Amino acid sequence: MAELRELKEKLFLITSLSLAALAILPIFHILLSIFYNGLPVLISAGVDFLVDSPPPPGGGLGGIGPSLVGTFMLAFISSLVGIPLSFASALFSVEFPDNVISRGVRVLSKALLQIPSILVGMLVYTIMVVPMGKFSMLAGSLALAIMMIPYVTTYVEEALENVPKTYREAGYALGLSRTKVVFKISVSIAKRGILTGVLMGFAKVTGETAPLLFTVGKQRQMISLDPLGYTDSISLLIFDFIQTPYANWHRVAWGSALVLTSIFLLIFLATRSLTRRVVL
Amino acid sequence: MRRVALSINDLTVKIGGKEILKRINIEIPERRILAVMGPSGSGKSTLLRAINRLLDLVPGCEVSGRVRIYDTEVYSSDPYKVRRLTGMVFQVPNPFPNMSIYDNVAVGPKMNGLVKDKRELDDLVRWALERAMLWDEVKDRLKDPPNKLSGGQQQRLCLARALALRPKLLLLDEPTANVDPINASKIEEALRGLVESHDITVVFVTHTPYQAVRISDYVAFLYMGELIEFGLTQEIALNPKHELTMRFLKGEA
Repeated sequence: MAELRELKEKLFLITSLSLAALAILPIFHILLSIFYNGLPVLISAGVDFLVDSPPPPGGGLGGIGPSLVGTFMLAFISSLVGIPLSFASALFSVEFPDNVISRGVRVLSKALLQIPSILVGMLVYTIMVVPMGKFSMLAGSLALAIMMIPYVTTYVEEALENVPKTYREAGYALGLSRTKVVFKISVSIAKRGILTGVLMGFAKVTGETAPLLFTVGKQRQMISLDPLGYTDSISLLIFDFIQTPYANWHRVAWGSALVLTSIFLLIFLATRSLTRRVVL
Repeated sequence: MRRVALSINDLTVKIGGKEILKRINIEIPERRILAVMGPSGSGKSTLLRAINRLLDLVPGCEVSGRVRIYDTEVYSSDPYKVRRLTGMVFQVPNPFPNMSIYDNVAVGPKMNGLVKDKRELDDLVRWALERAMLWDEVKDRLKDPPNKLSGGQQQRLCLARALALRPKLLLLDEPTANVDPINASKIEEALRGLVESHDITVVFVTHTPYQAVRISDYVAFLYMGELIEFGLTQEIALNPKHELTMRFLKGEA
């Protein structure tokens, strides 16, 4: 009998291990092929890859400077709009849970989490690009902010809700006002969770493609910081370049993929090192 | 002649329409310890939270009757002011994890503007930690986070945090339920010291009759939201009028 039990246990272990391996295999495949194809591009193009303009079809590697800067500018401006709004709506919905508006915030932020991003692009095209008569960094940032808000709101809501009630009670028992309890206690205790949400939101929008398709104008020839001017993002550049027949553009796309992945990993690692230190 | 520190008249508390406390009447003089006893769900914690108006935070809560702390009519005053008059220690130690040991004690006086300068604050923090019998253990690591302390030390830190407001009335909700016997006896000793040499009155909830008998001057016995016995500890311990009290004191209820 004992043998049968051991056999069963081994069988179970092997099955779950192989299923787990199957599940993470694609991730490793993606990471490995990005490094395998992207690293030689970065090595042969050097640091210029991060500042130069893309090459003409068929000639050299150039760089992705305008798209890289565009990516950061878009993420930055959308964060400027999106993060304060997300923070405020999360705080409101946690602090006044029975209010009709905060119930609305909760339902909407969960529903919008899964909104198809192309729809957001179309929305901004209709409400901003058409009236202004042109694509712009600002339009792209608005689209990204709309993508970001439900995401960050949900994160911040959860971080605030995870603060045990007993700390708030202790704060009130000390005679602290509601504002002080909220900011000096709840927000302060949840600050790492909140920061995680903010960073994840930032990471999410650096990788978005569809909301930018018809909002930013795909200007990748020169670095521009003008919010009303055209711009580009790394994800858009990859999307366009891999669809062409030019071998050098394919290589630029691989190099860009590696740059984008590295940005992602860096933000992810920063988040991890922050969250590990949460001690209640 | 001692003044009356706390008087409760016909206090009734309903939460969501259900009566949690029914017409409670209690009066204790200053610098005395009142032990509130009773089985789980008898309304002990609610009674404490009615005194410092923490019940205001509970949705659907209705309070009627009167509570007075010295000359302050609790239910016609600003709740924030009432809470500054009282200190509270909770059942599970809850020092603020985002603040150092020092800041946990300093936060109350600092945010309520009770001190003029850093020096005065330092003195107050030290005073509170000494009263909570914790100073010697933490004086060299005031900047550490509180999670480095043991559970019992954390509870004494919470006591110090409450004392730093220089409250007239100290409320404790089963302060020793989650700490070891050594820490429990330190907390008991601290409470005795506070009423004997400082101008403080103590109300604490306890599950253990021995603790009540050991340190309290008055006992209130709650059962299903009713005050079934209240009086001097000595008298009730020797001669409980009510059968339920007797059984509880013997450890049967």
